[in-house]
Amino acid sequence: MKILYSWLREFIDTRLSPSQLQEALTMAGIEVSACRFLGDGLDLVVVAKILEKKQHPNADKLSLCRVTDGEREYGIVCGAKNMSEGDHVALSKIGAKLPNGLEIKKAKIRGEASEGMLCSETELRLAEESAGIMILPPDSIPGTPLAVALGLSDHLLEIEITPNRGDCLSVLGVAREVAAITGEKVVLPGTDFPESGEPIGSFASVTVSDADHCPRYSARVVSDLLIAPSPAWMQRRLSLCGIRPINNVVDITNYLLLEVGQPMHAFDLDRLTASGIDVRRSGIEREFITLDGIRRKVLPEMLLIWNGDRPVAVAGVMGGENTEVLPSTSRVLFESAHFAPSAVRFAARRLGISSESSYRFERGVDPAGTVYALQRAISLLSRHTPLVAAPGTIDLGGDRTFGRSVSFRPSQADRIIGRAYGEDGCRAIFDRMAFPIAISGPGAWQVRVAPHRFDIEREIDLVEEVARLTGYDSIPTTYPESAAPEFSADDRLTATVERASEYLRTQGFSQVLNYSFVSEKELTRHANLLGYDPSDAMRLANPLSDDMTVMRPDLLMGLLRNVSSNVRRFVDEVRLFENGKAFGKSLANSLFEEQRLAFALYGHRLPGAWSGAHEWVDFFDVKGITETVLNVLGAGAVHFVPTRSRSFFVEGQAAEIIMAGETVGWMGVINHELLSAFDIERPVCYAELRIPIALSNVERPAIHREIPKFPPVFRDYACIVPSVAAVGDILAMVRELTPEIASAAVFDVFTGEKIGEGKKSIAFRIKLQPSDRTLTESEVNSIHTKVLNLLDNRFGGKIRTS
Amino acid sequence: MRSLSDAKSESDLNSVKGIFFGKKGTLSEIMKGLSGLPIEERKQVGAAANAARQTLEAAFDARLAEFRERERKTRDAAGLIDVTLPGRLPAAGHRHPISRTMADIVSIFNRLGFSTRLGPEIEKDYYNFEALNFPADHPAREMQDTFFMDGPSSDLLLRTHTSPIQIRTMESSRPPVRVVAPGAVYRCDSDITHSPMFHQVEGFAVDQNVTFSDVKGLLTEFCSMMFGERKPLRFRPSFFPFTEPSAEVDIECVICGGKGCRVCKGSGWLEILGCGMIDPAVFGFVDYDPDLYTGFAFGMGVERIAMLRHGIGDIRLFFENDLRFLSRF
Ligand SMILES: [Zn+2]
Repeated sequence: MKILYSWLREFIDTRLSPSQLQEALTMAGIEVSACRFLGDGLDLVVVAKILEKKQHPNADKLSLCRVTDGEREYGIVCGAKNMSEGDHVALSKIGAKLPNGLEIKKAKIRGEASEGMLCSETELRLAEESAGIMILPPDSIPGTPLAVALGLSDHLLEIEITPNRGDCLSVLGVAREVAAITGEKVVLPGTDFPESGEPIGSFASVTVSDADHCPRYSARVVSDLLIAPSPAWMQRRLSLCGIRPINNVVDITNYLLLEVGQPMHAFDLDRLTASGIDVRRSGIEREFITLDGIRRKVLPEMLLIWNGDRPVAVAGVMGGENTEVLPSTSRVLFESAHFAPSAVRFAARRLGISSESSYRFERGVDPAGTVYALQRAISLLSRHTPLVAAPGTIDLGGDRTFGRSVSFRPSQADRIIGRAYGEDGCRAIFDRMAFPIAISGPGAWQVRVAPHRFDIEREIDLVEEVARLTGYDSIPTTYPESAAPEFSADDRLTATVERASEYLRTQGFSQVLNYSFVSEKELTRHANLLGYDPSDAMRLANPLSDDMTVMRPDLLMGLLRNVSSNVRRFVDEVRLFENGKAFGKSLANSLFEEQRLAFALYGHRLPGAWSGAHEWVDFFDVKGITETVLNVLGAGAVHFVPTRSRSFFVEGQAAEIIMAGETVGWMGVINHELLSAFDIERPVCYAELRIPIALSNVERPAIHREIPKFPPVFRDYACIVPSVAAVGDILAMVRELTPEIASAAVFDVFTGEKIGEGKKSIAFRIKLQPSDRTLTESEVNSIHTKVLNLLDNRFGGKIRTS
Repeated sequence: MRSLSDAKSESDLNSVKGIFFGKKGTLSEIMKGLSGLPIEERKQVGAAANAARQTLEAAFDARLAEFRERERKTRDAAGLIDVTLPGRLPAAGHRHPISRTMADIVSIFNRLGFSTRLGPEIEKDYYNFEALNFPADHPAREMQDTFFMDGPSSDLLLRTHTSPIQIRTMESSRPPVRVVAPGAVYRCDSDITHSPMFHQVEGFAVDQNVTFSDVKGLLTEFCSMMFGERKPLRFRPSFFPFTEPSAEVDIECVICGGKGCRVCKGSGWLEILGCGMIDPAVFGFVDYDPDLYTGFAFGMGVERIAMLRHGIGDIRLFFENDLRFLSRF
């Protein structure tokens, strides 16, 4: 919201300068984000008079103007059309640097010299929008600095109002805040005007059927007025504050909206029938044309202003086209009411309208201020527009008491803030806010809160006022008393994932961070390859764009895209990992999501072709890293089971990783078709791990065993088995044969013509290590026989004799 | 002596040595011949022979050392390596600046006695808004543009802040609690300083006698640990539905040192944190007695802090995952 310093001074004669005001308001929670002197940048801008205007010889859309500043003449090329000879305009001379940053230089435009520029209000930052250049009043004197001619020795403050402080959305509201900060007094400007003619009752009648949602409805009538433009000063204030001037009647309602924060509506009285005004809900769904000409669907719950049996406005949101003020209007009924925030918010949201009026009603408008706003409006309007004000004010609900009493214990301010305010400190603040205090018991007060402060309902709200207006600077800095922190499961998760991340980093992986939402179009395009299941998808109801429509089902697509884009940027070795969540309806353990750790390898197995390391990464590179990551994560024993169900992997080069019967992750070599869909030419190896499963392993303390005192015995085996036999399975079974077999490890696998089709040769070594003795020759032989039998019986393995 | 310098190797040298010192060598012959000489002459020749032996031995030793040194050099040259060639394992990668900044923030609060809690990113309206004192249909909800999940129940949304973790923690434990809650959050907003997904760290403490002055002290301590030096801080009243009183915390601009610049929009201050005392209405939702307990909460945007820390001007860089960007960190 924008506030003019001069306007504020009409309500409070503050000693604070504009910049002091900026600081004081900001430090009281009314953030002033900018404070601009309106004369800035207008040093070389003066009033000029147009002596001659003619068409630019070489450009249809440009004209050539000869203007004078009273001393000399200037030739100006101008793109606007709205000026005529004899008009007074704002001329910025060569060298001027305008408030919008534009520098004026001597220029030749299509062959014609321009010795300056004729300015629009937007260029001078006197309005947010403008059509054509600014035309000044005819009595302006050429040569006068524009800042002097327009009285621009003023400051414009830009204020950010938090949603709880709707009362500050006006000059009066900010003035009250200044009073609460400084102790200075707010003085309301007078509202005198003469009344004459028939009393208001003979023109209009009002009933309020829904008093719950319209606790107060005030109105006045004026007649015999002429619709005309508002005076220049009023138009300037409106423009500077972001509202486009329209005519004297509409402008006065907007002026009061800005000045006292009371949204008002002007009905053309001649377009209202004699059946009077009522306030009640729509009751049925109906169509209604608002004054912006749009046909809108009104819902039964919406609060409307009625004239007989037809709606004439959506209460607090927008008036209707049917009773809008027209250039021919001569009699006006001004409405100044209080509508419940919830009613206005409902209608504004459902209709998709956010007007200056609804914005304020939603945040709470002072119900005690409706009549003052009416009086002030007519008083101001009557100063520049001849009119007849009908005697009397309609004021339904005016006899109610607004505002509330709130219980307050001064000791609570000290307890919650940690600073000694004491009763005196609290009382001083409430005095400045003009909140009367009644003592209701020892250390217990009843504080009478002014009706415009909708945000103060509870003791804590008053504590906040005491802290805020005394100043946060005066609050000491203490340190909270410490209790020993508990170590949560999430601490463990965070620390463990951090360790795994650091391991991956040391293995050359860089961490990426992708959006959790991805393009469903893209997922669907490669649905078969990615294994995308649309029925499991968690979709956004209101995505920001087409490529962020669905929550990612896993981390794969993001990482593939990252590999691809980095390869295209000429990076040869790409190793990436991501910690993040995957989402899906089936992940119902939490709210449809699961923490994952995924990584992708692309490029050479080892860097440095200099040493002969030319191989691309393969399955066993990602497997080795996966095993270590699982170990760092504290996962228990895992099995790598060949899988065909992950369509994004090359068939036969993929494994499901099983821990205690559950899938803890999957890994493999990415399918070629998928790679080419992502424009990747070399192999990508990938693994994705489910963190909650990996962490579900309970690590028990290891139990010490005697270190063997005797040397181990080794036996090597080379045998031919069917190529489908899994080495991991063979070795696992060998290990289980007898406790004396301390380990069994493969050291060679190969296939070839010599071995024969459908067969492979494996070589492995077992270590025999009983802890308490040396094995006898016959024991070793017996174990040897068991191994041979197992190989033969279970795997059809034939021992190779070399 | 010439045969000594002609020797080309240690074995050459040894055979030369044999000529002089061997059993039938020159010197042995001389010594043998001594016995046949008169005593006076014997003394003279003996002394001369001994001197010659010493000279020769020294010469042999020097020559031997020369050979051994040459041999060592030859042997070393064969095993010489270029230590500037790259190592065989991949060079270390890089942590994402957001992840690193978030971990740094969390670790400071861990050290200050706060335990980590995480929460779901798809969240219920109740935890994200209602129990945090954002009533339905209240303008305060407009402060946070929310992504809603599609489906029959409009109850699910993407959390707009990490504050729901306050409610989830308080529901399951009694005071005292001290928690720091990091994570990804979402708002429908995208430009040079706003990303639809970003990260927050939230923290809160509830106990008897927790005060606003405590959160002021804690955050002052945090800022000096995070930003290295004792930079001036400014606590300014503000509004959050779930805290009251509330404050925005500004730190003296790290770019211009408070003189005013483009980054701080001329104010000399940078907003980096929000904080306040937990609103009694929030305690009402989790059944904590506000007359017995008080609590504070604070929250900060990780991207904003990382941008200030590393001089990054465009938030979107964090999500482009360009290794040329990531490898700076
Ligand atoms: Zn700065």
